[in-house]
Amino acid sequence: MIFFETYGDRLITAFQVHLFYVLTSVTIGFAIALVLGILLSRVPQYAKVIMPLLSVFQTIPGIVFIGILFLYLGMIPATVISALAVYAIFPILKNTYTGLLDIKKEYIEAAKGCGMSPFQTLLEVELPLASPSIIAGLRMSTIYTVSWAVLAAMIGLGGLGEFIYIGIASNNDQLILAGAIPSAIMAIGLSLLIDVLRRVVVPKGIRSVK
Amino acid sequence: MIRFENVKKKYGNTVILDNLSFNIEPGEFVVLIGPSGCGKTTTLKSINRLIKPDQGKIFVNGQEISQVNPVKLRRKIGYVIQQIGLFPNMTIEQNIGVVPKRLKYEKKEIQKITRDLMEMVDMSFEEYAHKYPSELSGGQQQRIGVLRALAASPPIVLMDEPFGALDPMTRATLQKEIGKLHKKLNKTIVFVTHDMNEALDLADKIIFMEQGKIVQMATPEEMLANPASPLIRDFMRKSSLATDPLNLTAADFMSANVISVQKKKSIRECTDIMARQHIDSLVIKNEDETYAGVVTIKDIKKHGKSSGTIGEIEPYQNITSDILENAKDSFDKLYNSGDNYVVVLNNDQTVAGIISKTSMATAMADTLWGDMQ
Repeated sequence: MIFFETYGDRLITAFQVHLFYVLTSVTIGFAIALVLGILLSRVPQYAKVIMPLLSVFQTIPGIVFIGILFLYLGMIPATVISALAVYAIFPILKNTYTGLLDIKKEYIEAAKGCGMSPFQTLLEVELPLASPSIIAGLRMSTIYTVSWAVLAAMIGLGGLGEFIYIGIASNNDQLILAGAIPSAIMAIGLSLLIDVLRRVVVPKGIRSVK
Repeated sequence: MIRFENVKKKYGNTVILDNLSFNIEPGEFVVLIGPSGCGKTTTLKSINRLIKPDQGKIFVNGQEISQVNPVKLRRKIGYVIQQIGLFPNMTIEQNIGVVPKRLKYEKKEIQKITRDLMEMVDMSFEEYAHKYPSELSGGQQQRIGVLRALAASPPIVLMDEPFGALDPMTRATLQKEIGKLHKKLNKTIVFVTHDMNEALDLADKIIFMEQGKIVQMATPEEMLANPASPLIRDFMRKSSLATDPLNLTAADFMSANVISVQKKKSIRECTDIMARQHIDSLVIKNEDETYAGVVTIKDIKKHGKSSGTIGEIEPYQNITSDILENAKDSFDKLYNSGDNYVVVLNNDQTVAGIISKTSMATAMADTLWGDMQ
């Protein structure tokens, strides 16, 4: 209890900052990934080259990436958010792309045959059918981002990572847990939120499929 | 209504449509048929511009279709595909309303159209309109697929093997329904199939294609009377084989592959045969090859000795059937007797074959879907 008296306020602020990083970067990442995924699904022959290139990005350690961005952008939240957004893109992009590509050709043909324009086909047939996959990607990105956001503290930008870093530096288990447990709770909470979103977004007719 | 003028299409070096020219009159039910790869589906899909020919002109309603916006063109041409392709994310009502919605019909009107159409195929609007495709059977789904194509009352409907994926019973029902709908609504229908029976039943005119060319374009009667090529004759023959099930005899359903032994065979040899063939009974023949009965492994066990001949065991009088007996009577025997099979006998009392439940199923499948090999 003494712990909360000492750190309570800081913990709440850290939680809020952490959540802010996660939500903004996932939102930005989602928007970019969705558009990119749709574009790539129109040109699968190029996507076969582009997707692996993008996945290389994913393998650059977060610390390195944030470090590099820090050099150019400085110690501002935008550094953290843009780095996290880049990492958030890939799972959603991949799931959007495969989700769209996995749609059975018969639906596309039927849509065309019914006189739907390509845009209508995308909006009314393809995206609804790919929505389970897209949402799954969103969930993955969100959970990853919660843990990556810990890195923000590395360049002194707060978040729950602060507690973890200080805890490690001062060999204080309590502090480490004070950072880790709320992170886990955040990940679970956001994941539940996405479940709700899924129920809203995924059309009833295909819900039983997966 | 639809006119092809010297239409050519190639994929790589393969000629798919070879200078195709024909004319379809308004209100005609035209069936495109031929072996796979003959270009029938390509022909169909060129009509609504899902496939673009390399050369030649296609006219729909007097308009050269390459000059028409494909999206607008397709809204005036109904389209039904084999895989049905109902949008799983939309209800039945939304599926049927897809084209009318694009054409900016009012909501009430769309609902009325949906209701009327569903009534035509005896599906209750209240019961099905708000269901999703996955909740319907294949036959029901394809009914809706057809209705979707009809919803905006297009003058032309294209159907690409619409009933190919359905079971024979459902297919027959839907064929009847589509025939009725055609008469009632007076649409020009272009229908692709590889099933000659379907073509003969439905078509006003059959276009038989082979290697991208029309081999014969004729009414069903004409084609039956004067098939223009051996291939067409072959197609017809195959379809005429599927005769009325009422006329089938035991011979059509039996398996001629019977393991039978003469009475003088030793019991040891008989058990060997049974073990090797994985069977638990043998058909026993008298010395003059006539049927004597059946001996099961149980009978042999009861007999106790493995020495001596099989003739020493009193054979079980299994149910038999004459080879010319009506197949249905043989089935009734099979089901009512409790025996594992019916032994089919020739006129001279020699063994012709047996009808087991398995041979029955195979033969039924053969009759319904053609040769299963």
